[in-house]
Amino acid sequence: MITVRHVDKAFPARNGNAATLALHGVNLTIDTDEFVSVVGPSGCGKTTLLRMIAGLVLPDAGAIAIDGRPVTGPGPDRAVVFQQFSLLPWATVADNIAFGLELRGMPRDERLAIADDQIHAMGLRGFERHYPRQLSGGMQQRVGLARALAVNPAILLMDEPFASVDAQTRRTLQEDLRTLAERTRKTIVFVTHDIDEAVRLADRVVLLSPRPGQVVESLPVGLSRPRPEDLDQEPAAIQLKAYLWRQLRGMQQATSPKSRP
Amino acid sequence: MSRRPRFASLGRLLQDRRAGWLSLPAGIVAWEIAGRVSQFAFLPPFSAAVSAVWRMTWSGELPQSVAASLTALVVGYASAVCVGIPLGIVMGRYRRVDAFLDVYVTILIATPKLLFVPILFSLFGTSRLTQVIFIYLSAVVVITVNARSGVRGVDAASVEMARAFGATERQVLTRILLPGALPMIMAGVRMGMARAVRAMIMGDMLIALVGMGALLRKYGGRFDAASVFGLLLVIVGVALACTSTIRSVERRMTRWTEES
Amino acid sequence: MTTTDRTHRNLRIASIALLIVGWELAARALDSMFVPSFVETAAAFCRIVSTRPFWHAIGISHQAFVIGFGCALIAGTLLGLAMGRWRAVEAICDPYVNVLLATPISAVIPVIILAVGLNLPARALVVFLFAIAVIVVNTRAGLKTIEPALIDMARGFGATELQMWRTILIPGALPAMMAGCYLGLGRALTGMIAVELLLVAVGIGRMILDCQGMFAADMLYATVVFVAGEAVLLLSAVRWLEHRITPWNDQVAIE
Repeated sequence: MITVRHVDKAFPARNGNAATLALHGVNLTIDTDEFVSVVGPSGCGKTTLLRMIAGLVLPDAGAIAIDGRPVTGPGPDRAVVFQQFSLLPWATVADNIAFGLELRGMPRDERLAIADDQIHAMGLRGFERHYPRQLSGGMQQRVGLARALAVNPAILLMDEPFASVDAQTRRTLQEDLRTLAERTRKTIVFVTHDIDEAVRLADRVVLLSPRPGQVVESLPVGLSRPRPEDLDQEPAAIQLKAYLWRQLRGMQQATSPKSRP
Repeated sequence: MSRRPRFASLGRLLQDRRAGWLSLPAGIVAWEIAGRVSQFAFLPPFSAAVSAVWRMTWSGELPQSVAASLTALVVGYASAVCVGIPLGIVMGRYRRVDAFLDVYVTILIATPKLLFVPILFSLFGTSRLTQVIFIYLSAVVVITVNARSGVRGVDAASVEMARAFGATERQVLTRILLPGALPMIMAGVRMGMARAVRAMIMGDMLIALVGMGALLRKYGGRFDAASVFGLLLVIVGVALACTSTIRSVERRMTRWTEES
Repeated sequence: MTTTDRTHRNLRIASIALLIVGWELAARALDSMFVPSFVETAAAFCRIVSTRPFWHAIGISHQAFVIGFGCALIAGTLLGLAMGRWRAVEAICDPYVNVLLATPISAVIPVIILAVGLNLPARALVVFLFAIAVIVVNTRAGLKTIEPALIDMARGFGATELQMWRTILIPGALPAMMAGCYLGLGRALTGMIAVELLLVAVGIGRMILDCQGMFAADMLYATVVFVAGEAVLLLSAVRWLEHRITPWNDQVAIE
């Protein structure tokens, strides 16, 4: 279980600009094995929140704990999937997938065996010895996901993972992720700006306010598991999406230049 | 990063930039002390070098030499820019020209230009012309190659677009290729200046026997370490001045490009 | 081979032929004892390449080259990596590196001769100084071009400092380091010859000076052609190595 209590985060002043308060008083609880989607307007701090859970950034105030233990840095219980894939350009697909295991000191044979399982599971068979630059965006993100799964984390942290991928591939990846979530027991925190994606994938949607970000609402997605075939027709989904869009639009109007006095 | 706690403060210290301010002044102070304290005849204190520069300036020796060196530099470098940029553009635009001239470019890029000096001697003797040609050769290759690269790097789609709007060859060159290639051209011009300055000094010392380099050899031959170091300071100053002049020209001309 | 490729190849051949023929004709027209023709140069080349004193001189010059360039590679790489990784190191060393980069090292040669003498260490030091600045600058730049996202990613997987260097920083900086090696090699060769021409008449420099003194223009040209050829070969070898070691990248070198 992930608990975020009264978390503040500010970024220092740079180049003559004032300091930015990215998050203020964020309170959030994510249950074990829950799939939570974090949405909000641009700049609301959702990526920062994710990175704090990952342990890459420490909060200025408040505390983040996992199963009661405070988060002080990255750990073997969490793995991140990045928007820009962040694959090693000089390593093959297999070596990229095995990267997390390599850092933990696992011997080569063992980690390549685990990587091989992931290659099979992610549909990357035949591309083991390819280099990232030879792969499409969708394939590269599969490698990114495989890499995260290879270290068998209890918590999967995903930072707008499908934003850099074309629309068709995105749908396929979403479906694969959904299947994965239903098959395995993992806590998943999924940051996205796409409402449709959030509702499609998550058990619960958390809405953040514009900067400084706070949790505005936390809404359960009342859709069955496994998801029905055509989500676009489900009345529960339509309602929830419409509601979230209204909220977001309201936030954006409130902060747009025209509405300022 | 998961560091052990005792290294954390070292890590923060290592990331602190402010130590840089003290660096050069500290170095000069260290030089002064070392010069006064050490027994080595070859290491005069900083102050001795400075007073040697003062002396040479007042005697007129130094201004004359600087003028002589810079004259050769300006002529050689300007020629290199005037020849190198158009040549590079033409080579970048027309593949046939490039194929024809590529042989010379490859040889000139790889060969240390210094090796051409004996050949230049045999053709032109030990004259100022030889030094100017040496400076020219040192700079022209890198300017040409960068201009060529710059033109080649311009998006073919932009050229096609211009053609679709009925642009003539000349318009394509001036409105698409030149602006697009400008960053790389200026980079080449900057690198060319650095090489020209080095060739200028080498040429002074080896070929023309006038100018700053020649003074350097003269005082070196007399084991006058203070004058040698003083001249070195002047030469470094001149080199930095030349390269930063070009750098600011470069910055002004490429202001429209994104910061890389 | 396409028609365009063939045309290009023919142009290249024509270019070389023009060079050779032009040289031959110009030399004969000039009829100077200082300018040998292509044929004379070629003949001299074959002659000197088969004599022992020639290779002895090459050896002497290259001792300084190998020691100086080798040290420059090691020291330059270490310093460049340190400067790229730790801002304090960069801030302290940056002014000196900039000065070194801008300074014509040939100007420093008299000082080195005063300090160290007319011997192998002096020549090696000159070669070292010629090469080191570009190596440092390119290595440092190589570290800076690594995407911060990659470093973040490795941190996310719990990489230690050592692992960060081994898996991210060194491989990431490698293309730029090769570029620095390429430029450094050219500079080192220049340094090797410069010190010999200017002040320490041994090796290749001595040979050139001797040829000039003896008015043996054909041997002079032949020596120049030999060293030029060596430079072309060595630099091509580095280029080839670059493609082998870092096939994933092509970076623009600095200076």
